[in-house]
Amino acid sequence: MRKELGIFLLLIALCVVTAAINPRFVSHANLTNMSNVVGLFGLFSLGLGLVIITGGIDLSVGAMFALTGVLLAMMLREWHWRWPVAVAAAVALPMLLGWGHAWLITRIKLQPFIVTLCGLLIYRGVARFLAQDATKGFGDAEGFAGLRDFATGKFLGLPMPFAILILVSILMWFVLHRSVFGRYLLAIGRNEEAVRFSGINTRRVIMGAYVLAGALTGIAGVLLAFYTNSVSPSTHGNFYELYGIAAAVLGGCSLRGGEGSVIGILIGAALLQVLQNLVNLLGIPSSLNFAVMGAVVLFGVIADQIFQRRAALDQGRH
Amino acid sequence: MKIPSLHSIALILSLVVAVNGCGQRESAPSAAGTGDNKPVRKLKLAFVSNTSASFWTIARAGTAQAASELGNVEVDFRMPSTGGVAEQRQILDDLIAKGEDGIAISPNDPANQTEFLNKIAAQTLLICHDSDAPASKRVCYIGTDNKAAGMQAGQLIKQALPNGGKIMVFVGSMDAQNAKERFAGIKKEIEGSNVQILDVRTDETDPVRAQKNAEDTLVKYPDVACLVGLWAYNGPAILNAVRSGGLQGKVKIVCFDENAETLAGVAEGTIYATVVQQPFEFGRQAILGMSRYLTGHQEALAGGRQIIPTLSIQKGNVAEFSARLKKILGQQP
Repeated sequence: MRKELGIFLLLIALCVVTAAINPRFVSHANLTNMSNVVGLFGLFSLGLGLVIITGGIDLSVGAMFALTGVLLAMMLREWHWRWPVAVAAAVALPMLLGWGHAWLITRIKLQPFIVTLCGLLIYRGVARFLAQDATKGFGDAEGFAGLRDFATGKFLGLPMPFAILILVSILMWFVLHRSVFGRYLLAIGRNEEAVRFSGINTRRVIMGAYVLAGALTGIAGVLLAFYTNSVSPSTHGNFYELYGIAAAVLGGCSLRGGEGSVIGILIGAALLQVLQNLVNLLGIPSSLNFAVMGAVVLFGVIADQIFQRRAALDQGRH
Repeated sequence: MKIPSLHSIALILSLVVAVNGCGQRESAPSAAGTGDNKPVRKLKLAFVSNTSASFWTIARAGTAQAASELGNVEVDFRMPSTGGVAEQRQILDDLIAKGEDGIAISPNDPANQTEFLNKIAAQTLLICHDSDAPASKRVCYIGTDNKAAGMQAGQLIKQALPNGGKIMVFVGSMDAQNAKERFAGIKKEIEGSNVQILDVRTDETDPVRAQKNAEDTLVKYPDVACLVGLWAYNGPAILNAVRSGGLQGKVKIVCFDENAETLAGVAEGTIYATVVQQPFEFGRQAILGMSRYLTGHQEALAGGRQIIPTLSIQKGNVAEFSARLKKILGQQP
């Protein structure tokens, strides 16, 4: 719990300081906007966290957003598919692609980095090609207005992406921390060989992680497409995998695998969005957006390391 | 090593002959029919945008139109995926290697690409479109006068805010030449009036961040009167933010270019006006100009700057403009 505590305190500190300087930070409008994007980014960060826990990585998340976004727009507006079918296809595609990645990683023994890097390049290229570089929009949502209103609407006062995030997080918490599958995931991240020698089908577990991550990416992709109401294939979701990886690592996932928690990933995702919001609300020049993010994240991670070491020394270990 | 059998030698020989034959068949049309004294070679002209955006798909339609008007021109239309200088450099080097007769480019960083552009200009016909590099040896600039476009936007802002008010400007990045010029134009036009610029928020060409910037602006400045977007995707991003904040009609929007969502917003009245650049003409005039120049009519690219005027699209003329645009893009009306 220590790891999450550090990052949680940092988040609270940032919120308090920002609210003190600009009370509009805690206004209804701002909290709504922020919970909306935390929902969007948190969903795929959870998926990415799962993959990282297995010791892998997924660099193709952003490109998958572009591809599924373009396809979703084309399915709904040009091919006139019924929206349940279109949404199912939009969620199934990243799952299929995730399965493909996992197959290449576990059967052909390729590095996750290289497999998903190729994915990043291929999917964005395909998205641009399918859309012929045009922005695909949802227009006035004729025939699927209900879907759009659902994706951009509210549930019990919370923006839908945030509500979905809470629901998914509860499920993921059970999956990761209270299920056998979750145990296997963490164990495989630590030492895959040992787990395999214990008689567990590691291949299937890893595949499960990538497919589950694909499902979360698919859901996030649909919600993200409706958030912007249009998808520009060359820029949509560009480098968003870095947000996911940063959120997961901030939240306690080790890039070596074997460690991580759902709460931590959520806090990490929230932290990144709060930082961006803070830059705007405090009038910090936009050019410093990423500099501020990087600096605060680095500070948080260093402080976390120091506290961890202190705690270890206190307990008489090195 | 097995000595290749007669069979395989024959196979290889026939493949070689076939490949050669194909090659000759391909070049036959451009080498004109037998019996002609002058081979009519197709002019190879390239059009390179600064980034990938649907704005350029309209320009692409313009280049295709020019190619069909001329008949003896082969257009290579390139859209770099990122707004990066390195990628543009690679594309241009490849085009030179390909043997293009003329290149029209919208340079991403004109000030620092001067030397590179001069090198290209030394090897082929080079013109600039959309974003000028006046210090370089490009033969001509065809495109918008971005400062004038900015002033036009400034006029529209003043019309939208007859009693003045605070405005916020959004753009991908302020190091792009067109962004700098448009902003300068707006500033010049609103000088002395009651319109006050709060700040410029950049989003690094991320439409989600652009939308978030607009949402945060509406939170930070509840009294902001007008949101101004300088690049094509800023309009829709601001529109989404205003809609989700329920501020249609209360906060005015002035933006640039003709994204489908932007035009829908203008038709609805939520966007007060958009300044469109006629990218179709960028494409068409660039190809026509280069073709005429290369076939002996150097006056086609004379004057150094050929400005294609911008239009302001508001509720009154958006329907007609949209219909025209759909026709250009070959879409259903």
